[in-house]
Amino acid sequence: MRFLHTADWQIGMKALGLGRAGERVRQERLAAGERVVEVARAKKVDFVLLAGDLFEDNGVDRRLIQRVGDILASAGCDVFIIPGNHDPAVPGSVWEHPVWKSKSTLHVLAESRELAWRDVIFYPCPALEKSSSRDPTAWIRAERGERFSVGIAHGTVEGIRQDEPAYPIARDAASRSGVDYLALGHWHSSAFYQDEEGATRLAYSGTHETTRFGERASGNVLVVDIATPGSPPAIEEIRTGGLRWEVISAKLRSGDEIGSVLQTIESLDHPASTLLTVRLEGILPAGAREELERLEEIVSSRFLFGRLEAQDLRPSPEDDSWLAGLPAGVIRDTAERLRRLAATGGASEREKIAARALLELYALAGEVRR
Amino acid sequence: MILRSLAVGAWRCFVEPVAVGPFGEELNVLFAPNGTGKSTLFEALLRGLLDSHRASGREVEALRPWGRALSPRVTVEFSHDGVEYRINKQFLDGTFSKLERKEKGHFRPIAERDSADQQVRALLTQNPPTRGLAQARNWGLAQVLWAPQGSLALEGLTEDLASNIRTVLGAQVAGPGSGPLEAKIRELYLAYFTPSGKLRSGRGAPPLVALTSQLEEAKERLRRAKELELAFEETSRRVEHLRAVRAQARRDCDAIAEALKKARENLAAYTALKAEAERRKERAEAAEARYQSLKRQVELIAKTEKEIEDAKRRVAALEEGLPLVERERESLERETAAARAAVEDARKGRERVTKAEEEAAAARKYVDLTRESEALGKTLAAIEEAERVLAGRRKARDALVAPRPEDLKALRRLVREREETRLKIDASLITLEAVAEKSLALQVVAGEETGKRKLSPGKPERIAGSPEVVVDIPGVARLRAWGPTGSVEQHRSALVRMGEEISRRTAPFGTENLDEIEALAEKARALDGEVAQAKARLEALVGGRDRGALVKERVAREAELLRLRAAHPKWVKSPPDADALAERAGRLRRDFVALIEAKESEWTKAQAAYSATSVRAQASRSELEASRRHLASLRAQLAELTADGKDHRERSAELRELLMTWEAAGEGLREVREELERFAGDPAVELDKLERQLEAAGAQAERALEGERTEQGRLEQILAQAPYSVLAVAEEEVSDLDRAIATERIKVEAAKLLYDTLCEVKAAALSSVSEPVELAATRTFHRIAGRRLGRIRMGEAFEPLGVNPEPTADVVDLADLSGGETEQLYLATRLALAEVLARDERQLIVLDDVLTATDAGRLARVMAVLEDAAKRLQILILTCHPERYRGLANAQFFDLEEAVRAGRASPS
Repeated sequence: MRFLHTADWQIGMKALGLGRAGERVRQERLAAGERVVEVARAKKVDFVLLAGDLFEDNGVDRRLIQRVGDILASAGCDVFIIPGNHDPAVPGSVWEHPVWKSKSTLHVLAESRELAWRDVIFYPCPALEKSSSRDPTAWIRAERGERFSVGIAHGTVEGIRQDEPAYPIARDAASRSGVDYLALGHWHSSAFYQDEEGATRLAYSGTHETTRFGERASGNVLVVDIATPGSPPAIEEIRTGGLRWEVISAKLRSGDEIGSVLQTIESLDHPASTLLTVRLEGILPAGAREELERLEEIVSSRFLFGRLEAQDLRPSPEDDSWLAGLPAGVIRDTAERLRRLAATGGASEREKIAARALLELYALAGEVRR
Repeated sequence: MILRSLAVGAWRCFVEPVAVGPFGEELNVLFAPNGTGKSTLFEALLRGLLDSHRASGREVEALRPWGRALSPRVTVEFSHDGVEYRINKQFLDGTFSKLERKEKGHFRPIAERDSADQQVRALLTQNPPTRGLAQARNWGLAQVLWAPQGSLALEGLTEDLASNIRTVLGAQVAGPGSGPLEAKIRELYLAYFTPSGKLRSGRGAPPLVALTSQLEEAKERLRRAKELELAFEETSRRVEHLRAVRAQARRDCDAIAEALKKARENLAAYTALKAEAERRKERAEAAEARYQSLKRQVELIAKTEKEIEDAKRRVAALEEGLPLVERERESLERETAAARAAVEDARKGRERVTKAEEEAAAARKYVDLTRESEALGKTLAAIEEAERVLAGRRKARDALVAPRPEDLKALRRLVREREETRLKIDASLITLEAVAEKSLALQVVAGEETGKRKLSPGKPERIAGSPEVVVDIPGVARLRAWGPTGSVEQHRSALVRMGEEISRRTAPFGTENLDEIEALAEKARALDGEVAQAKARLEALVGGRDRGALVKERVAREAELLRLRAAHPKWVKSPPDADALAERAGRLRRDFVALIEAKESEWTKAQAAYSATSVRAQASRSELEASRRHLASLRAQLAELTADGKDHRERSAELRELLMTWEAAGEGLREVREELERFAGDPAVELDKLERQLEAAGAQAERALEGERTEQGRLEQILAQAPYSVLAVAEEEVSDLDRAIATERIKVEAAKLLYDTLCEVKAAALSSVSEPVELAATRTFHRIAGRRLGRIRMGEAFEPLGVNPEPTADVVDLADLSGGETEQLYLATRLALAEVLARDERQLIVLDDVLTATDAGRLARVMAVLEDAAKRLQILILTCHPERYRGLANAQFFDLEEAVRAGRASPS
């Protein structure tokens, strides 16, 4: 038996702080969905499991539901979906959309009860509300037999830090419930849990398309092979994500380091599908301003989304060569005072403003000189 | 710069050329009356040195003399840095400008036109003034050194001049090239803020403003999106709730339907048991009725038999007691008759009592009649005497003829009227009075009394008559006197009638003398009084009775006395004692009454005892009769009760049998009732309740379904608006704007911080620079106005802000100083600044008609100050009061009027 395990498509999710790229990020999640379907077809899987949070919210645009239904229906196999905590099965939920009934291969499992399908018994654990402190898999009592037993759940495996209770799932949920495989959703990074025999029967597939900066091991699906009921699953992780979320951080001490950052950025492939954040901190040498401006220009223009975070940069306290070039008297005194304000080492709003003011003075002095 | 001379032509009021000079290097006073052109010369000096010869416009056009198409021209000779210069300028038409320098005693051109203008301006200040000389701020150094007419006020120096002063003062406030950078900083600041420090708005507003506005709009969209999202969640919850309600209602319906089925079965069983219970109850009641009937019959037989025995005993008792009662009644009857006889005997004593009472009454009557008869005799005698007196008095009265009061009253009236008539006659008569001188006789021919009369000498004689009096005096004359006729006759007729009437009325009295008649009347009244008195006495004696009746009454009493004497002869000799007889009769009466009452009481008691016994006997008889009838009735009833022919034993057996039947029926009924009691109420009621509950649950399910459909419709409407997608976009928008605003705010705040820091640094630097000027100006001010007002305080551009009196740290605004003090303060400030500017070279200071508000005392001190200042400054004073400055030592005076006349004014 072979099937594809995916989850957390979060269709229609918001993309804060990405400006015009936000819409592209949303669209890319649909494109990634199409890639998942391609994988399913290519791998000739028997069925697809979608372990919750197919949608970001029950209030998403109805057209998105239709579109997702169409994508999943094109998988060439049956698709079993459970509602997650983002799209719980409540009145008015996405699961009441007619698309789910119009496609015979799409199965929305909105009740916690066994479902026999061919030689498989499914144990779905759907979310019926946004949060819960009970283990959704606690009810499963699978018996080893001639049929495969597969659980589908949405929640947080014990040991993962969480602020609020969100469908806790025991680490031994798979072995305790007796299923061959327990497909999990909720966490966007793929994760695998081995039982005492060393078999991986409990796994997060992670989201099929990365949702934010710093999200590791995401943008994949899992293709699971189980030879016979009770035998250990063989899991293959396949990339489906289309966007790259890159973060480049650097602590500057000299002008050369900006050049180094610039080189790194220049070397990035696929800038049109890359979202980039460059974080600079440390000392901004007097002569490095132009390079910084060049860096900002490249970051903001070349990539799908680019952001330069340089507010933590400080003009160098030791390097007062440019100050000596300022007119003596009040101008130089002003520059000295601003430098003292900006160089106190903290990261307060006032210090950031002082640093910026100093940079402005530097720029104005350059203009006058020219 | 030192001014050597000034010449103008075709310049406003100066149509002809006028030249003033040469000026001394210290004090110069140019004087002239108002309207002569002092300020015009001031203007010419200003334009000659600072203005472009190509200047145009209305201000410059106004320089032409009125009504003349002349081109204004000016020539200024001055020295600068030890070099002598001359600048010639012509404005408007044929404009030119030529700068000359004295070389070897002669002026040689060194520049023309614009170059000449620029060089002169460059000589006078590092930062040459710009266009617009109407404003002092464009005058360069002159804004400090030259005070236009009547205006010593100093609003603040331009930055270049202030900078010059600071430079001179040696402060490194701004290094070389700092001006443009400061301007850039200010430009950057003004790109975001207004000069007053507010964030710019409108077209020139920084992006931050637009972003903030966009953020507000985006937040509003976000708020609406959140509301929509919230509405979605709430509606979803409502649908969920209504679904739960409907499911519960459905479950309730099922449960109630099941209960209803059971209730119907219960009702059927209950109804059957009720019918069985009813039947058993009827049977039990019938058995009970039969038992009770027989029981009552048995009891009644026993009771009747007992009553018969009682009735028999009663009849026997009555039959035995009745003769005794009869005997008692007869005995009492006899006793009653005896008592009655005793009463009758006692009543016979009444005659004796009556006789005694009659005798006592007769005796009383006899005594009374005797007394009354005697009294009547006396009364009759008195009446007789009174009647006699009355008759005598009536006789005397009848004998007297006197007028009645009314007649007397009429008579009095007649007599009075007659007297009045006589007076009237006397008044109506013509009277002739003759007083003879000697005795003579006369003959009255006509008069009251005609005839002859004798007159005695000196004795008057009156002759009266009517209607005339005629007197003949023989041998002398006939005298005739007359008057009005008629009235005296009427009076006489009336008098006659009155006399006749009086005579008629007094005829019965035999006199017409009224007094006599009055006496008669008085006598008559006395007699009438006596008659009335006698009559009253008589009437008092008679007492309203008839005298005859009195006589008759006395006769009757006498007759009764005779009858009583005949009945009681002894009373003739000895009158009876009526009281004693009455006492005796009373005693007899009381004894008789007591006896009668005692006897009647005995009789009444006997009669009552007899009546009671009679009644008892009658009752006994009646009771006996009734008992006999009752006995018969009881016997008939017993016969009826025992008509079944059964005896007591048979009936008891039957009674026991019936009791057992009754008890068996009751037991069957109890069993059924116990079964019924297990039903805890009427199943029909419960069935009815359940049916209503089922109906209510169905209605609730229906309502829930209806509500669910409504909410579902609302939910779909909300979902059609894609609440989350809208929210996501709105949140992204707000997030992007927040980030953009944060970035922009840093830029704006940085520009502000840069500018504010520059200003603070500058202010601190300026504070140290301006202090020497403040102190110099303060010293001069103290020399003029004293120390009372303390230290002068200046602003950043050296403009005076106020004074700082020593007792307080507060700065007193200039507006709070007097006009004189204000102009003295400005003069001191200008001189202090001029001293700074004149450190390297003597400078010209021009004062055009200033110090107009300064009093004479302070003006003298001002003169001393000016004399001191003149050691370092060339001072030119324009005034219409030259006398005020005559005290200045070493001053040169120039008469402008003279210059106008002569074309030139030289020092006088």
